[in-house]
Amino acid sequence: MSPHQREHRSHGEAVAPIAVIGIGNVLLGDDGFGPTVLEILAAGWVLPDTVELIDAGTPGLDLAGLLCGREAVLFVDAVAAPEAPGTLLQYRDQQIAEALTLQVRVSPHDPALAEALAIARLVDGGPERVLLVGAVPQSVEVGLGLSEAVKAASAEAAAIVANALAGWGAAPHRRTDAVASSPWWSGEGDG
Amino acid sequence: MTRISIDPITRIEGHLRIDAVVEGGKVEEAWASCGMWRGIEPILLGRDPREAWFFTQRFCGVCTTVHAIASVRAVEDALKLEVPLNAQLIRNLILIAHGLHDHIVHFYHLSALDWIDVTTIPKADPATAAKIAQSLSDWPHNSAQEMAAVQKRVVGLVESGQLGIFANGYWGHSAMKLPPEVSLLALAHYLQALEYQRKANQVVGILGGKTPHIQNLTVGGVMNAINLDSQAAMNMDRLYMMKDLLSEVISFVNDVYLPDACAIAGFYPEWFEIGSGVKDYLAVPDLPTDSASTAFDLPGGTILGGDLASVHPITGSRDPYFRDAVVEDVTHAWYRGKGAKAPFVGETIPDYTDFQDDGKYSWVKAPRFQGKPMQVGPLSSILVAYAQKHESTVKWTDLALGRVSAIAKQPVTIHHMHSTMGRYVARAVRCAVLGEHALRHWQLLVGNIAKGDSSVCNPPTFPKGRIEGMGFHEAPRGTLSHWIVAEDGKIANYQAVVPTTWNASPRDEGGARGPYEASLLGTPVADATKPLELLRTVHSFDPCMACACHTLDASGNPIATVNVA
Repeated sequence: MSPHQREHRSHGEAVAPIAVIGIGNVLLGDDGFGPTVLEILAAGWVLPDTVELIDAGTPGLDLAGLLCGREAVLFVDAVAAPEAPGTLLQYRDQQIAEALTLQVRVSPHDPALAEALAIARLVDGGPERVLLVGAVPQSVEVGLGLSEAVKAASAEAAAIVANALAGWGAAPHRRTDAVASSPWWSGEGDG
Repeated sequence: MTRISIDPITRIEGHLRIDAVVEGGKVEEAWASCGMWRGIEPILLGRDPREAWFFTQRFCGVCTTVHAIASVRAVEDALKLEVPLNAQLIRNLILIAHGLHDHIVHFYHLSALDWIDVTTIPKADPATAAKIAQSLSDWPHNSAQEMAAVQKRVVGLVESGQLGIFANGYWGHSAMKLPPEVSLLALAHYLQALEYQRKANQVVGILGGKTPHIQNLTVGGVMNAINLDSQAAMNMDRLYMMKDLLSEVISFVNDVYLPDACAIAGFYPEWFEIGSGVKDYLAVPDLPTDSASTAFDLPGGTILGGDLASVHPITGSRDPYFRDAVVEDVTHAWYRGKGAKAPFVGETIPDYTDFQDDGKYSWVKAPRFQGKPMQVGPLSSILVAYAQKHESTVKWTDLALGRVSAIAKQPVTIHHMHSTMGRYVARAVRCAVLGEHALRHWQLLVGNIAKGDSSVCNPPTFPKGRIEGMGFHEAPRGTLSHWIVAEDGKIANYQAVVPTTWNASPRDEGGARGPYEASLLGTPVADATKPLELLRTVHSFDPCMACACHTLDASGNPIATVNVA
């Protein structure tokens, strides 16, 4: 972070050094994977103050503003890949950059993800550690709720995120009063 | 004759495709098309109108709050339900903060690289860049050291060979004319802008409880508890934190964004002669200052044929001049049938053909006002307000045009605003106008609370039978309207007529082109394989196809393709 940035952070809420960012549109079936995993994390774990959960939806380049000033960022997103629906894939640091240089679509949202990371690097070097936890979607048609395959993967993905955070020195611990997460877009009940 | 096809064109995700026929170095014909089906509204059918805003704010990930506000306003309009003054003002502050955020992001992060050639920055003299920046304003972060530090980072990026990740960068193009020093100072501000758009967003978060998806709305008002003595509620600490944040963002807008927009406009005066297109303008009034939404701080209305004297005001959501004049035409859109329907009886039944130049070629419907295509967006809202002698708008517009004229060394007047560059200047002017109103509405809110008014919501009750409502909002990209029909308290029809639908509309039954299409006619194209000029005009509208039609392409195709036939 440059002195310029530090000086200008005098007001408002400080930026947590670690962000877990869920990306995706919850109205488009399995595209809601990222936000759903965040709901599972919030319902089942207590996170340290150093971690911020952000349900970013489909932010386009607004994503860049969420990355600046972070030490580590973990994206959770649907990933366009040839593997079977529900397969979880992880991309770390340089792998993400390499995939983007080759113009392989790591995620349906990556035109923005690539540029946002590039902008963050220009501003303050960008986050030192980046991890993307993705699930291959079955359907991204208009509709509420995840497919069975991606729903099963989302619980596992939440555990992967919790482990990764522990590896970054920000271990969450399971809530003793944990309740099953049922976000309003899950399609269960009437919204 | 050369045909250019750019797909996708936006820097925000979305499948906007532009086709243009170039003859003799100029665009002779153009088509704007969206390649993804927009069909989110059916999710709302049968639901409780009170929860519609929760869904509509997920239409688009960039303009979340605007769809939330338009939705609750539509339901309140259907119920003829007034909202407490505190709720109006809190909503207004959210809308203003979102607008400040959005305009800053558009100028720097979504479109500046159409005008700045990053590859010239290593050649710039940082001391000269600082001197130029200091001549534009007394912003404290324009030092030679700051410029040198930014230059060093750009050199690193250029040397690493990773410049390609900035999509649509037509480096070395003959239409790039900014001196390296101006490019450097603009890029320095591009990096600083991240911090200020974030501050604007924090205001949305303080009031909305969460951002980007706010939580505090409810049909009939807001759910913010107001109690100046409670740590858990809207208290003086939070109000002052918000004021500080807004003040910092306003300084950035007035001392950085507006001067930069004027400077870039001054170096590209030829772009005040390009890209006018549809000169019929539409804007709705916004920032209501009373419970019944009959008085507004920002005026709305129409201007026809580019004649400011033709201005006709729109007085509110019940004004038939707007309410009865809007239809959506599907003749050239991939929906069943042809001709136009009013939104209350609108249908969204897909009928995909392939791309047919003279037939159907887009998933975007063609909204029309009294049968005409209308341009919407900051230029419309500024011209409509200027024509009605809106004090703040006149002040900032005249100031901006004076600055542009001084840098261009030629007179640039309100009549030059019907252009690609006019849209850029208008957006910066609107941002300054919004900033001024941010502080005014903050004062109104604090004043009203100080009088002892802490009410925030009038609970709704739904009658048996059929009701119709329309809620509008003058969003960052222009006029947004949500149209709802409810029967026995359940949603029976829901249509969102969004700004990008107005601007990116295809032709209608009578063959009239939409604003993007019309604005491209006559645009010079130096190199058909690098159609930078087309991008400049389309980006001047700030396209956001996400709510018109969301994109999800899992095909592994390259990020953008330009085909020249």
